[in-house]
Amino acid sequence: MENTVVKIENLVKRYGELIALDHFSLEIKEGEIFGLLGPNGSGKTTTINCLLSLLSYDKGNIELFGKKMTPVSYDIKKDIGVIMQNVAVLNELTVYENIDYFCGLYISDKALRKKYVEEAVEFAGLGDFVKFYPKKLSGGLLRRLNIACGIAHKPKLIILDEPTVAVDPQSRNRILEGIEELNRAGATVIYTSHYMEEVEQLCTRIAIMDKGRKIAEGTKEELKRMIRNTETVTIEIIELPEEVRAQIASLPHVYSAEHDGERLVICCSGGKHNLIRILDVLQSRDLGFGRVYTELPTLNDVFLEITGKALRDKED
Amino acid sequence: MFLHIFKYELLSSLRVKDLIIWLMIFPIALGTFFKIAFGNVYARNTEFSAIPAAVVGAENDPAFRNVCDSVSEGDEALLKVTYTDEKTALEMLERGDVEGIFYAGDEVMLTVAGSGLGQTILKSFADRYSVSAAIIKDALMNDPASAPAVIAAISEDVSSCREIPLTEGNTDNMVQYFYNLIAMVAMYGAVTGLHVSAGNQANMSPLGARRSCAPARKSVSIAASFLGSCIIQGLCMVLCVSFVAFALGVDFGSRLPLVYAAALLGGCMGVSIGFFVGALNMPESAKTGVVMSFSMLMCFFSGLMVGNMKALISAKAPWLNMINPAAVVSDSIYCLNIYSDYRRFIVKMISMVIITLVFVALGLILTRRKKYASL
Repeated sequence: MENTVVKIENLVKRYGELIALDHFSLEIKEGEIFGLLGPNGSGKTTTINCLLSLLSYDKGNIELFGKKMTPVSYDIKKDIGVIMQNVAVLNELTVYENIDYFCGLYISDKALRKKYVEEAVEFAGLGDFVKFYPKKLSGGLLRRLNIACGIAHKPKLIILDEPTVAVDPQSRNRILEGIEELNRAGATVIYTSHYMEEVEQLCTRIAIMDKGRKIAEGTKEELKRMIRNTETVTIEIIELPEEVRAQIASLPHVYSAEHDGERLVICCSGGKHNLIRILDVLQSRDLGFGRVYTELPTLNDVFLEITGKALRDKED
Repeated sequence: MFLHIFKYELLSSLRVKDLIIWLMIFPIALGTFFKIAFGNVYARNTEFSAIPAAVVGAENDPAFRNVCDSVSEGDEALLKVTYTDEKTALEMLERGDVEGIFYAGDEVMLTVAGSGLGQTILKSFADRYSVSAAIIKDALMNDPASAPAVIAAISEDVSSCREIPLTEGNTDNMVQYFYNLIAMVAMYGAVTGLHVSAGNQANMSPLGARRSCAPARKSVSIAASFLGSCIIQGLCMVLCVSFVAFALGVDFGSRLPLVYAAALLGGCMGVSIGFFVGALNMPESAKTGVVMSFSMLMCFFSGLMVGNMKALISAKAPWLNMINPAAVVSDSIYCLNIYSDYRRFIVKMISMVIITLVFVALGLILTRRKKYASL
């Protein structure tokens, strides 16, 4: 985990008046699974496109494997595997031919390519579909084909831009497991998503983006430590006198207690035994309540606290 | 790398259903339609029918009757003669049953009801008979011994003009439609060429973006795609010409290999047009619309839909025929068929090369960018 694979310094990208990337900097070490997390339009894909030298940018510097990345950096490109957000396969080629086509853009040795293609087919679980045309594949299988096309040549750096959009849970799990497997095999991974659960499950380090800026970076534990909330307690309770709610809100480490008529949601910051203290208050007043559950903070809480808005779009 | 991309370009192009429909099935169907529609028209236009004529007083002029009988016999009869009295003959002329009335006698007279090809032929026939009869009478009266020689000389079809054919080719006007059909298929090459640029530009399609991430030079990728498209288009052109020549039996004269050459070059020209349009920054569906509209418009101007359109343009705006790719293709085949020398054909072939190079150059200028302001 020593060598720097990706280094982005002060990247600025403007679309007219809109600033898509605002002095964005990033450093990714070898062997990491690095997550770029942010809502739609936060600049994740723009970052990836600049990284791949597809997009021009106004300011900044990008280095991959210690070398400046340009559109003609073919020696760098051969070590990169790209899985685009939009599925990019040839509809007139079969699954096998598609993987062979993309692998052939990187590997000229036919025997080696055949081996790699077969491994990619197995990796993506497409063995039963090698003679299928992309149009005959389900959304999940198509995404898996897209991934197989991107990783067949065994790249050192794999860039996955929202690879699980519109994918069923079964295929999503398979994709995530596959990414971990690739990482264990030695690949550095950049993973962009607006699904916080995926990023939380997969990534060793995460950068949260909003409006083209990096608003936080670190491991998931580090990110969660950045915010006040350490525990959220939810109690199903219908009748709750105001003085009881106020008493709970004044407990040590509790910084918020909100009752919506059905649930009491209490946010705590640090401290131990918060739940016991809250339940003691309710029992001392002889108030009945339903289910009780506690949640540790999520990346969404991190995002919410930093930006004041939820990470996910409403439709998600 | 080149061969790898080229191989898959061919493979994927061969499997595009739209391509098979528009470049193979549609021209075959249209060509068959042309053959059915125009085959009979041509037969009607070229078949000579004997001219109906009435002869009055033939019983008084056996010589004229003999001559009329002789030109009314056989498959290539000049006249269809009805011997009758004057009243009936006039009624027939009025009804249009005959185109003229010959009055036999010392001097053969002709009455016609109008003017036209039939009437002109009847007039020529009457004049010639009168002149020949006068010469023979004169010979019989003044030198009876020379009469057989005079009659023999008159019987020969002597003309001061000698017919020299300009070409050994097919002068049937209807073959123009088949030339234009071939030109149309060549123009449809633009559909084949569309994806060459779109599939290699990151800002045009996800596939273009994906390919741009690979360590393949764009020039190599474009060259392989372009060559693959030209070969697919070439196959379509060969199929089209072969179908028209052998299945429909359209006569291309004695220079069929050069017709193939013109069609192949025309196909490459079509691909180059598609390559250029594909490189324009507009939605994919709009590009297909532009290409199809342009192709059909050019074919319209070259006479695919209206036979005399090219002649009209030649009179009003001759420059358009020189730069209209469809007209250039059909003209090249026309020149091959009509003119015995190759000068005009070579000019048309050079025109096709120039148009191809212009569109390829414009396409390359548009696709040379490697980074984009937006994707």
